[in-house]
Amino acid sequence: MEKMSRVTTALGGSVLTGRTMHCHLDAPANAISVCRDAAQVVVAGRSIFKIYAIEEEQFVEKLNLRVGRKPSLNLSCADVVWHQMDENLLATAATNGVVVTWNLGRPSRNKQDQLFTEHKRTVNKVCFHPTEAHVLLSGSQDGFMKCFDLRRKDSVSTFSGQSESVRDVQFSIRDYFTFASTFENGNVQLWDIRRPDRCERMFTAHNGPVFCCDWHPEDRGWLATGGRDKMVKVWDMATHRAKEVHCVQTIASVARVKWRPECRHHLATCSMMVDHNVYVWDVRRPFVPAAMFEEHRDVTTGIAWRHPHDPSFLLSGSKDSTLCQHLFRDASQPVERANPEGLCYGLFGDLAFAAKESLVATESGRKPYAGDRRHPIFFKRKLDPAEPFAGLASSALNIFEIEPGSGSMSWFVDTAERYALAGRSLAELCDHNAKVARELGRNQVAQTWTMLRIIYCSPGLVPTTNLNHSVGKGSSCGLPLMNSFNLKDVAPGLGSETRLDRSKGDTRSDTVLLDSSATLVPNEDNEETEGSDVPTDYLLGEVEGEDDELYLLDPEHAHSEEPEYVLPQEAFPLRHEIVDTPPGPEHLQDKADSPHVSGSEADAASLVPVDSSFSLISVSHALCDSRLPPDFFSALVCDMLRFYAEQGDVQMAVSVLIVLGERVRKDIDEQTQEHWYTSYIDLLQRFCLWNVSNQVVKLSTSRAISCLNQASTTLHVNCSHCKRPMSSRGWVCDRCRRCASMCAVCHHVVKGLFVWCQGCSHGGHLQHIMKWLEGSSHCPAGCGHLCEYS
Amino acid sequence: MVSVINTVDTSHEDMIHDAQMDYYGTRLATCSSDRSVKVFDVRNGGQVLVADLRGHEGPVWQVAWAHPMFGNILASCSYDRKVIIWKEENGTWEKAHEHSGHDSSVNSVCWAPHDYGLILACGSSDGAISLLTYTGLGQWEVKKINNAHTIGCNAVSWAPAVIPGSLIDQPSGQKPNYIKKFASGGCDNLIKLWKEEEDGQWKEEQKLEAHSDWVRDVAWAPSIGLPASTIASCSQDGRVFIWTCDDASGNTWSPKLLHKFNDVVWHVSWSITANILAVSGGDNKVTLWKESVDGQWVCISDVNKGQGSVSTSVTEGQQNEQ
Repeated sequence: MEKMSRVTTALGGSVLTGRTMHCHLDAPANAISVCRDAAQVVVAGRSIFKIYAIEEEQFVEKLNLRVGRKPSLNLSCADVVWHQMDENLLATAATNGVVVTWNLGRPSRNKQDQLFTEHKRTVNKVCFHPTEAHVLLSGSQDGFMKCFDLRRKDSVSTFSGQSESVRDVQFSIRDYFTFASTFENGNVQLWDIRRPDRCERMFTAHNGPVFCCDWHPEDRGWLATGGRDKMVKVWDMATHRAKEVHCVQTIASVARVKWRPECRHHLATCSMMVDHNVYVWDVRRPFVPAAMFEEHRDVTTGIAWRHPHDPSFLLSGSKDSTLCQHLFRDASQPVERANPEGLCYGLFGDLAFAAKESLVATESGRKPYAGDRRHPIFFKRKLDPAEPFAGLASSALNIFEIEPGSGSMSWFVDTAERYALAGRSLAELCDHNAKVARELGRNQVAQTWTMLRIIYCSPGLVPTTNLNHSVGKGSSCGLPLMNSFNLKDVAPGLGSETRLDRSKGDTRSDTVLLDSSATLVPNEDNEETEGSDVPTDYLLGEVEGEDDELYLLDPEHAHSEEPEYVLPQEAFPLRHEIVDTPPGPEHLQDKADSPHVSGSEADAASLVPVDSSFSLISVSHALCDSRLPPDFFSALVCDMLRFYAEQGDVQMAVSVLIVLGERVRKDIDEQTQEHWYTSYIDLLQRFCLWNVSNQVVKLSTSRAISCLNQASTTLHVNCSHCKRPMSSRGWVCDRCRRCASMCAVCHHVVKGLFVWCQGCSHGGHLQHIMKWLEGSSHCPAGCGHLCEYS
Repeated sequence: MVSVINTVDTSHEDMIHDAQMDYYGTRLATCSSDRSVKVFDVRNGGQVLVADLRGHEGPVWQVAWAHPMFGNILASCSYDRKVIIWKEENGTWEKAHEHSGHDSSVNSVCWAPHDYGLILACGSSDGAISLLTYTGLGQWEVKKINNAHTIGCNAVSWAPAVIPGSLIDQPSGQKPNYIKKFASGGCDNLIKLWKEEEDGQWKEEQKLEAHSDWVRDVAWAPSIGLPASTIASCSQDGRVFIWTCDDASGNTWSPKLLHKFNDVVWHVSWSITANILAVSGGDNKVTLWKESVDGQWVCISDVNKGQGSVSTSVTEGQQNEQ
């Protein structure tokens, strides 16, 4: 306490001012030390020993202590320390083991005062007693620490650490007789200056050398140590056993550590290698530095707070031959730059979000919204209430499930699994898929399928009488439209999606409006809606509203009520075909060019006219004509597919593409198709829908896609004669010059299925062998074996 | 409280900087200032800690999952200037590679589309972007783009493997000649697009300028049936831009302001079908945006992680109130 008040008095009235600045030194610095007046700093190195005055705007060289024509090794400094009570007293540790004291009060140019040549190797550290003017302590590479009384010619006492080299010695600020020393082997020792025979206490602080230590300026028991293990540890020495209270991990070995004045939990560090920056850490937040000074271009070798009671000025010297004054307010704060949030859109439309908890806490108390259907999952770390500390951060990690419709992907999986893409007639496929879509609440898609069925399939199944209802109340034009608009199926409430999608004038938006709830909207919007929309809406409204009824009328559709459709068998053949023609659509063709075109197909034709009144005319016209080739719509259908793809529903695009097959394929360029296929296949694989993905690959007509299934399957063939591996191509073995796999019956090479007897290993074409076995049970090769085939 | 299914401690001791779900959506990797990377199994709504990866010596900023065709591979980047590639073998995670080619904090990592093989792009505060390519047998080849962004690079994001137009003139059946591209965002307020030249060198292709402060995140939208290339970017200036490129040459990019938030916007993330964009900002809220048919971006919901309450269809007015 005594010392403290004296310092304060000494510097009482002065207020430190300055700015972030640096000056160039002639040589790399090894250590720096500040005079107690906080206006001068000494820089020492192998070939530099200078005192600089710290002025407002710059450093000014004040004194060069390296004098003499041929500077001796005594001037090659490893460390320097300025006495905190005597402005004229300095001590340096030389690399040759000499401890030198300097008296700036000497009138001559050479300020060298005393020379202690007791250490045998480099002295790493010198330290003045904080309150005793004449006591100097040194620690050396030779493993000894020596205490000098500056009034005597040699050391007062020698302390042997009994371990390796001494890296640092520091007098305790509060305990008059105590000092700490750190060692190359990771130990820290506590000594009583009066008892040189053995240390008071010893413990292993670090893994590897402990390069530095610093006593806390206020807290009596705290000692910070820094080591090559890249850690700074704070020890409470007041307890019976040294207790580690904090541990800060840095990214490089810690060369110096200095507690920050007036900030109980802060300390500054610099590294011995790799990292050139000076960091200030809050020991309670051991992972991110509180502040960082990035001025130096080479390793920082010395750091010192300019004034023992001012936390904002830090001085540093570096191997890059500069001396810097850092202002705390100019420091970069990595915490500020750090991203406090993590966000990820999951596969299933769920959202993972991690946010800084302090931010979250401020927002609590908000009322949750009613009708919330999402289910957040919390990952949370509670703040420790025992230590309220603003800088301490933790994050809450939540996963949000998004309600179906807006983002959840469960519809995708269900749809992919349940869609039928081949193996039945087009009408059945469309109906099945429409049903699947409807059951999943995707009315827009369901309607599209129904419409496709109407466009492309054999008509006559839909009774025309059904179509000649007038439009419901919503009809603003008042014209007798042929479709009734049934409101009963309109979903309660509008999904957000629907609202986004409505009222776009062009043809493509027609498909959007197919959403059941959307159909409600155009009802009121008819006047503004462009003509082409109107008939479509009604057409689709009709389909949506009445198709249950339709199915009831139509016995052929009775089966579509079956609960779940199993994927067609041919999706999983034992041996996949190499040809890439889709097996599906071929047998559907005949239905498509049926002679009779129904009223419903004629309805669809009304998509084309531009005005609602026209639509009626054209419809009736179409009804009379009753022959519109399905080709007529293909441009429209292609537009629709593109629309779905653009909306991210590539599933729909691909499914329709497969189901319709040749009908639309030629109208969409190969490249787009390929892109859709690859996107869809990729999505399916992400959802682990391997079977569906395989089916899509098989059904695709694009060569680039269908060869996907042929990739990465390797067959290794061995020659049947010499048993060696066959070359990659050809049927002749390279080694024995004979054809492998000859048919024993016809003596030709078997390409394709080869059956053989496991007993004698002869065989051949399936048909040949079967035929042979009808007449004889002996091997056709003539080996005499009684062949057995199962 | 509403619909909180579960409360689990991630046991991260400091701030979490990133959370990423894997390809199949079954695992979640988180990384934190506490130097650790954790992997959770989140199947069926559970959260089981499967791995706690320690190896970084500083805060870990970002994690990225590689495509599962390469195995279970996770990359992480940290303040300690290192990028670590972790690999799971027989249920245990191990460090497969450590890249320490940067002179400053590595802020972002992103795996290239699987079609190119294992390539990792890393953006660092030293202004450089490095590209690590796995060449087999545990070897990684490093290419470095120095001075990609002055002051530093904050985000990298790869273009999807199939860029519209890239397949033109490719006889089908042949392996398409992919043009590798990625976007980066940096402290110079710019978004840059990089393209691999035929000689394997990376060249700046475009410079997208619209933000007035550090670009915090860029996200190239997955190409699912989209005719255009789309990039979302967000910045310290609170603005989120959607960049689109319609022409086949890929040279004309036009920005569209999605929204100007009152605080820093940290992240943008696309849904897998690229039709919804999630945006998280300094006000600790996540908002979901969707493009309407007429090309306007509309907020369709916002997620407040404060108590996990989520509101549907919050209108502009409500949002501003909050």
